Amino acid sequence: MNTQYFDPSTGLLDRRVFSDDEIYQTELTHIFGRAWHFMCHESQIPDIGDYFMSWIGEDEVIAVRGRDARIYVHLNTCPHRGNTVCRAELGNTKSFFCSYHGWNFGLNGRLISVPGEDVFYRSGLDKPLWGLTSAAQVDTYHGFVFATLDHDAPPLSDYLGWVGRLGIDLVASQGTVKFLDGVVKNRVQCNWKIAVDNLYDWYHVKVSHGSALKIGMMQEEPLSLNEQMVLLGQYGHGIGGPGLSEADYQASAGRIRAGKGENRHPDITLKWRLNPESEALLGPIGKRCFGHPNIFPNLWVATTSQLCLRIPRGPLATELWWFSYEIEEMNVKERRNNLFAINHFFGPGGILEQDDGENWSHSTRGAKGTRSQTLPVNLSMGINTEAVGNDAPGQTRFETVVSEHAQRWMYQSWQDWLAAESWQALMANHSTPPLGPV
Amino acid sequence: MDLQSRMLLKHEVEEFLYHEAELLDSKRYQAWLDLLTDDIHYWMPIRRTTTAKEIDKEFTQPGGVAFFDENLSSLKMRVARMEAGRAWAEDPPSRTRRLITNIKITGSEGDNIAVQSNFLLYRTRLASEEDSWIGRREEIVRRVDGGFKLAQRHIYLEQTVILAQNMSSLF
Repeated sequence: MNTQYFDPSTGLLDRRVFSDDEIYQTELTHIFGRAWHFMCHESQIPDIGDYFMSWIGEDEVIAVRGRDARIYVHLNTCPHRGNTVCRAELGNTKSFFCSYHGWNFGLNGRLISVPGEDVFYRSGLDKPLWGLTSAAQVDTYHGFVFATLDHDAPPLSDYLGWVGRLGIDLVASQGTVKFLDGVVKNRVQCNWKIAVDNLYDWYHVKVSHGSALKIGMMQEEPLSLNEQMVLLGQYGHGIGGPGLSEADYQASAGRIRAGKGENRHPDITLKWRLNPESEALLGPIGKRCFGHPNIFPNLWVATTSQLCLRIPRGPLATELWWFSYEIEEMNVKERRNNLFAINHFFGPGGILEQDDGENWSHSTRGAKGTRSQTLPVNLSMGINTEAVGNDAPGQTRFETVVSEHAQRWMYQSWQDWLAAESWQALMANHSTPPLGPV
Repeated sequence: MDLQSRMLLKHEVEEFLYHEAELLDSKRYQAWLDLLTDDIHYWMPIRRTTTAKEIDKEFTQPGGVAFFDENLSSLKMRVARMEAGRAWAEDPPSRTRRLITNIKITGSEGDNIAVQSNFLLYRTRLASEEDSWIGRREEIVRRVDGGFKLAQRHIYLEQTVILAQNMSSLF
């Protein structure tokens, strides 16, 4: 097992993974250059010519609805001189026109026209060879659009596996998902992985978000610090956070079915899971899962009303992009509460997230000092105290108190990605979710 | 309205807005809340880079996703949070200074006076964190009991991606 930066047997992580430029460059090629990445939701680009700009690592990409209604993903760089062919972050267009020399590209990326093709190039330009570079693969799952730059990547569904799919099922099972206009973006001076591993971290909530708890903006009960469920998926996907025991699930379901559902956790969020189709989609374990899914590398599916991409901007900075959705079946009151949560909890003005940025940036700073960076990060919570059951084969999980199992899994998998020289190598040598004592 | 009346009104509104900014700079939040009407709408939409042709898509719309979409009770909640302790983004406190300029009365109806202004909110934190937020405000200042209160503050920031790691200040 590769333990160059992270030792799964101790939970100690080399702090340089948050600050070292060489490690960062390897992440761009080995992780961002290979993984499947969330682009947008289909409902953001419903009509022909609708586009939304996103990023795969440091490559800017355009997700666009083509004339054949398919979604295409292209690198935003003109094959002629490298200029961008689109400068707006969203919109609708008939084509992508390069503002440097006027090369014009169809929605499918093909080079349509070149000024002076006959007179200057004298027909010496083989246009079919000079279209936009498109993602190697584009696919959707429940309307969530993903793309990868690597032809050798496994199909999206295999890549997501049970845990990644469940992360999205936890949204899709709520009803007809419609993404809302407006992606909240801001830049935090932290390493992208700190922003990612924090979503599994239910230990920080009472302290980092102490002010929100004190004013009653957030209740302690739904944090379920003593009733957590952690799911680990191949290639580094995971879900960590509150879980319900089957008995508590049934008790809540009983209250709701009897019309005695209470205005508190879990009755509020359990309600939609009782729809037979939703319950079937989630399955016996997924329906009891209330934690935070991360689709490796950097998509947090916050399963109530939002998703967040943690986009790297060098080793020491990250852009947070909050996408928001509503469920078409929501009534007026539910819709209002949904929007209130969207506009008050997360994002740079969010009552919860304001304080996160402060902690993440200072933790990143702790990876910069010459002496400080020789100290490890301690992710040992709960190590060697649990056993993973195999009552549901392939559905590896812990049901436990707050722990750092998911963080350890993330860095163990991250290390596999860094060590592998290709998808083939990663498929042959990646950690499999553990069974038995951990 | 003759010139003298217009000058007087503008002067009164300016004094009110300068006072209000001073309360925020000096973190006298409870006194600041007292200057808001019960039906205040405090709102900052999300701004996007669009082509010139599609500039109508630049801002998100009221009733949608926003950086801030506040009423009196949610503003009270934000103040309560800052005063609750463990509000790490403001402890140690940020240093802020608000410059309010280009104040223009754009209309009036009954007790409501429509005002437009520009602002620079400058913030530093700790040793070296520095943020500048520049933008335009569309406001309604209302005459109440011989004084003024703020009934609307719509904030249009000159940024799309917020370059600060949080917006823990009130605008």
